[in-house]
Amino acid sequence: MSKEARVHRIKQVVLVTALAIYTMLAAGPFLWVASMSLRTTSEISKDHFRLPDTLHWEKFPDAWFNSNYGVYFSNSLLVVLSAVAILTLVGAMAAHCFARYRFRLNRVLYFVIFSTIIFPPQITIIALFQILVEYGLFNSLFGLTLVYVAFQLPITIYILESFFSRIPNDLFEAARIDGYSEWSIFWRISLPIALPALSTTIILNTILLWNEFLYAVVLITDEDKRTLPLGIQRFMGDQMEDIGMISTGLMIAIIPVVMIYAFFSEKLIQGMTAGAVK
Amino acid sequence: MATVTLDRLCKRYERSTDLAVDNVSLAVAHGEFMVLLGPSGCGKSTTLRMIAGLEAISSGELAIDGRVVNEVPAKDRDIAMVFQSYALYPHMSVRDNLGFGLRRRGIDKAEIARRVSEVAGTLGLAVLLERKPYALSGGQRQRVALGRAIVRDPKVFLFDEPLSNLDASLRVSTRGELIKLHRRLGATMIYVTHDQVEAMTMGSRICIMDKGKVVQIGAPLEVYRRPANLFVAGFLGNPPMNLMPARLEGDRLVIGATRLTLPPELAQAARSAAGLVFGVRPEDLMVGEPGDDAIATEVTAVEPLGAETIALLRIDGSEAEMTARLGRDSTVRVADRLHLRPDLAKARLFDAASGNALG
Repeated sequence: MSKEARVHRIKQVVLVTALAIYTMLAAGPFLWVASMSLRTTSEISKDHFRLPDTLHWEKFPDAWFNSNYGVYFSNSLLVVLSAVAILTLVGAMAAHCFARYRFRLNRVLYFVIFSTIIFPPQITIIALFQILVEYGLFNSLFGLTLVYVAFQLPITIYILESFFSRIPNDLFEAARIDGYSEWSIFWRISLPIALPALSTTIILNTILLWNEFLYAVVLITDEDKRTLPLGIQRFMGDQMEDIGMISTGLMIAIIPVVMIYAFFSEKLIQGMTAGAVK
Repeated sequence: MATVTLDRLCKRYERSTDLAVDNVSLAVAHGEFMVLLGPSGCGKSTTLRMIAGLEAISSGELAIDGRVVNEVPAKDRDIAMVFQSYALYPHMSVRDNLGFGLRRRGIDKAEIARRVSEVAGTLGLAVLLERKPYALSGGQRQRVALGRAIVRDPKVFLFDEPLSNLDASLRVSTRGELIKLHRRLGATMIYVTHDQVEAMTMGSRICIMDKGKVVQIGAPLEVYRRPANLFVAGFLGNPPMNLMPARLEGDRLVIGATRLTLPPELAQAARSAAGLVFGVRPEDLMVGEPGDDAIATEVTAVEPLGAETIALLRIDGSEAEMTARLGRDSTVRVADRLHLRPDLAKARLFDAASGNALG
């Protein structure tokens, strides 16, 4: 074996080992929770890491119907889908304008919006609580949706603007000459071309908001308005944690995220590599 | 087909003191192929973009087919434009790219399909109709861009350096196709380029621009043979026209150690200028014997190009240099002495102060 081939081989071994360790670290906890979701709490208490002797599939309908997971799930679905839809549409429109139109204070406005990401949620939460109470939006799914939109909009605009600004201006000018209005150009040119970037923001926003806990726990109090992360928390008592049901709840919570990822992942990868090839 | 008339058209960008386009007046006739030629930053593309409606006009008047269109949006000017980057919609197939402009104009689907397949057939795109732009070669993309313009059947075609992204051989063949296309359609076309070969071979007329201004308008050979000023003389031609400082002594023109007898009308014109520049094309210099009407030079470099030989020369008694286009069988070498007789009927004299041609 030549020296070059040996170096190449060593590199490959190091790379595969590093990837294997990373995969174990990432997939291990997931598989552990998956196995616990099919075991009862008493079984788990006896041996935390054992594979299920009996597969307790009945825990899923039990969690869905008897532990109110169905309500939490539909609340989460409603809030997250609405927020992501608004974020995608408003974020894309704003990004299109920032990237495409020269107007006074363009960069100042962009910076002001983007700079809001430096505030951690803990700083804004009291003010937000007060505002929502004032406007009668406290303890409502609509209020939570608006907060989620406000929370994620800057990063959405940031990601989309950097993509939109790479679309050659000639395309827009060609469409103008072809007879299309600015509005049509946004829908027929900007949005379809930006699909990889849109997929990126859809996945990121869905995962972040689906798992969001802090705003939900402060701004929602009614049992029938809770989202999934709050529902899962219900099984964490002061005296005892129903770890079996928590695991089942977590698995229910993970399914939509996996589905969204599977659906948009190809576009996400394109989004990550966009610009690498002319 | 339509006429395009520019009347003292100006463009000043915000926060700029200079005019990007400075009082450009130009009349493009029905079916004419007008080439806007000039170096980078001369305002030719800005002028084209103002005609297209992509750039606001600061002052002056633009008329298409007699109708003033200063305030008419691009979509209502009935023009089509081919961009340097082709500007194909990357998410659409070739078929959709071709039909995109027609769909907006309320033309029914059957008619769109008919026109698209007709144009695709003409341009050899029929087998590529379902492909996306990324799956096309540079030349194919260029043809799609062209097809998108043709399918609209516009009053005026605008081209913004459409060949500059093609490799050399493809550029030559596409140039030929464009010439044929113009002949077949008989359409009014305005073509922007910085490539003088494109301008010379394609244009019915050339409009040469410099620093935002029109310097000369004319048929290609007319502009080449009778440049209106020093800029055109130096810009057009490869190698460009030889320009040498000269002075008048009686009826004779003194260039370094050489004295040329000027034709009476040229001598008459030269008297009005304080300083003179003598211009002669490299191909208008004939190798001859030493004598009064021959410029004595020494060869400083030789470029054998196969079809011809270019000799770089230093003029005796002067710092000026010149080039001569010699036959392909020329055997001159560096340090050889050459005596070159300029064809004075084809030579030009310029006023050194204003740069304008005399006579």
